[in-house]
Amino acid sequence: MTNESGTDWKDDPAELRDRLIEAALPHVVFDGWGREAALRGAEDLGLGPAEAMRAFPGGAGDMIRCHLSLADRRMTEALIDADLESMRVRDRIAFAVRTRLEQNAPHRDAVRRAMSYLAAPQNAGLAAQALYRTVDEIWWLAGDRSTDWNFYSKRGLLAGVYSSTLLFWLNDKSAGFEETWAFLDRRIADVMKAPKLMNTVKQVAGFLPRRLRAFRTFRSPSASRS
Amino acid sequence: MTEPTSKQAEKSGPRYLPGDPRPRPAVERMIRVDQAGEYGAARIYAGQLAVLGRSESAPVIRHMAEQEQRHLDTFNEILADRRVRPTVLTPIWHAAGYALGAGTALLGERGAMACTVAVEEVIDEHYAAQRDALGDDEADLRETIEEFRREEAEHRDIGLESGAEQAPAYPVLRQAIKSASRLAIWLSERV
Repeated sequence: MTNESGTDWKDDPAELRDRLIEAALPHVVFDGWGREAALRGAEDLGLGPAEAMRAFPGGAGDMIRCHLSLADRRMTEALIDADLESMRVRDRIAFAVRTRLEQNAPHRDAVRRAMSYLAAPQNAGLAAQALYRTVDEIWWLAGDRSTDWNFYSKRGLLAGVYSSTLLFWLNDKSAGFEETWAFLDRRIADVMKAPKLMNTVKQVAGFLPRRLRAFRTFRSPSASRS
Repeated sequence: MTEPTSKQAEKSGPRYLPGDPRPRPAVERMIRVDQAGEYGAARIYAGQLAVLGRSESAPVIRHMAEQEQRHLDTFNEILADRRVRPTVLTPIWHAAGYALGAGTALLGERGAMACTVAVEEVIDEHYAAQRDALGDDEADLRETIEEFRREEAEHRDIGLESGAEQAPAYPVLRQAIKSASRLAIWLSERV
């Protein structure tokens, strides 16, 4: 975190934002997301207030967006080297969610504050976007290659699992978050029941084609006999 | 890097104007709509085969269906490799494609061929437009699209040879299916 290394990272807006967020995180616990924390973080990095204001023109929303994007990239960095391929898909997902939460454990209070910001109706767009990005990243890391409606159902189901686990984790007081991991396993087990439900939906959706197939046999009885 | 772009700008103006989709989202759109199109096409032929599976033209339709399946597999790969999201409308194309294929096949073999001609005409135009829009940085994709376009044009010719024009209410049928196909393309690019 020294600024003796030169000015190169200060010239790169993306790198500057990442460093500012990291420096601001300890202040977020006391000052909340917004200019206060950004300014104090900039001070710790030896930057002026102008740099902090310029990095996050939108205030709290911009900071949270940047923090979540940083968290996504951290998760990917950690998981891209992990041996996910030897695991079952459900274990890959559980492992990814677990990595994500463990990485953010030092800033749990900052995450809690971000959650209450995102819960406000006017921030629903940002919340949905960020959740989609995280869930999409996890499925990509798990090696998902679906190209039809499954693409969306998988992401939707994981969004439910991930956000409920996140909320549980915020209030988990057990050692090593044991209860959160148990909760996560139960949620994934619930979701594994979904294919059964999907089969019922498919049967209903397959109703029309089956009628047409019946029509074919009705239409060409002579062809089948000859 | 700046050299070729400035030359290009002199020759034919900028590749895209303000308000046009940026290059990367534009390519994503193309891949999304092409995957959706091949998905729909495979479903149309599946619908035709469900009705005409034992008729004289079954081998021809089966040949076209196999080619469409190969196109779909290719685009599925490209979609997953590039992390492009598929269209949200796949369940609709699943049902609508099948219904269109089966519905026209119920008009007879010529009806099915008229449907093939109408759809493939639109796809041919659509792929030709994409081929022209893609630059040298996407040479591989352009090559794939051009190859598929030739096969789709072949399907159209097969349809015409098989008496598509003698189908009942051919001009009306053709226009209706062409409009529907264009609407499907428009929608699949966006959602």
